[in-house]
Amino acid sequence: MVDLDIDGLSRRRLFGVAGAAVSSAALLAGCGDDTKNPQVKTAPDESDTADVELLNSVLDLEFSSIAAYKTGAGRLRGSRLRIAQGFLEQEQEHADTLTRAIRDLDGVPNTAKRRYEFPPLHSSAEVLRYAVSFENNIIAAYIDLLPKISQGEIRSTISAILTCEAEHVAVLAGALHEPQIPDAFVFGQAS
Amino acid sequence: MAREPLVAIADGDADTAQVAAFERDRRALLRRGLGLGGAVVAASSIPVLLAVRDAFAANDDDTTLLTKAIKLEHVSVLAYDTILGRGLLSARVEALTRTLRGHEQQHADTLTTALTDLGGTPPPAPAGVADVDAVVKGLGDIRTEADVLAFAIALETAAVAAYYDVQAKFIQSKLVQRGAAIMAAEGQHLVVLRQAARLAPVPAALETGGQ
Repeated sequence: MVDLDIDGLSRRRLFGVAGAAVSSAALLAGCGDDTKNPQVKTAPDESDTADVELLNSVLDLEFSSIAAYKTGAGRLRGSRLRIAQGFLEQEQEHADTLTRAIRDLDGVPNTAKRRYEFPPLHSSAEVLRYAVSFENNIIAAYIDLLPKISQGEIRSTISAILTCEAEHVAVLAGALHEPQIPDAFVFGQAS
Repeated sequence: MAREPLVAIADGDADTAQVAAFERDRRALLRRGLGLGGAVVAASSIPVLLAVRDAFAANDDDTTLLTKAIKLEHVSVLAYDTILGRGLLSARVEALTRTLRGHEQQHADTLTTALTDLGGTPPPAPAGVADVDAVVKGLGDIRTEADVLAFAIALETAAVAAYYDVQAKFIQSKLVQRGAAIMAAEGQHLVVLRQAARLAPVPAALETGGQ
């Protein structure tokens, strides 16, 4: 197994790119309950608490995804590395978006683990196939979670994230010279 | 100094504000080293996204939401049929267009089944290009394969925007999940269309249909 010590690695050093942009504020600005006055702190209601738990479950997956792209990037070169760099930034933005949504619900967002374990990947093709599997797993998790989320605006945001993950799958499939749009419905696949 | 990709805006009848918006987006792409593959896109055929965002009222019930979504899928099928009938496409893009058309038909069929299961009546098929124009203008002005790709990107973006909107409003769990699966498929359509147009395949971390 390949261990990744998150604290021991810097995204900037790994990829030589600026850190991921945090641009979710505007999108999620309306995610809170309109009836709540932001100046008055009250205890979160039951549905908000449930939403926080659900959002934290997929936040954990996004953190895993970030770690997976960091680890896999070591096996990639050229255009495949650039794909991973771009997707890593977008996974970070997903994590930032979910974190903000959880805070907007007065919840406490989970943080990334210090270590993640991934299977050994010996070639760029293996990395890309693992990424496809990982992305499909996340899509399936989002599809499962969606109807349990009580707030409509958060369902839209989750749908926008999972659509991005589906786009990642299409790009990765293309890089592997495999069919990019094999199905009219994208439900992902739980591993 | 790097040579700017060749992208030209030909003279046409498009509204000045539409051209300005397109130009703004195009320049943003060029700053990121991207372009429409050196193609010339006629200003008259610049697709214009219309009235899709917030097309679903906050108090629409699932039956009404489904009816509107089916109409949108029917419009997509009609648009792709019209494009295929124009004979403008290379073999590769024609095959892609047939796949996209097939997916949109599957979406329409599935949503229609869901609607009839709820006791609703399926909407009539769109009558012609005017119905497409109500969603995305420009279908009648397509002259080249580059025009087709630009139009299809606008059409799929409209679909993503519509599902992004409706996902907040569906009540039934199964519809929320089905809507997400369709929205994700429309996003994958955008990837292959953008790649064919030599655009960034995934330009944003949240695909809302608002790019």
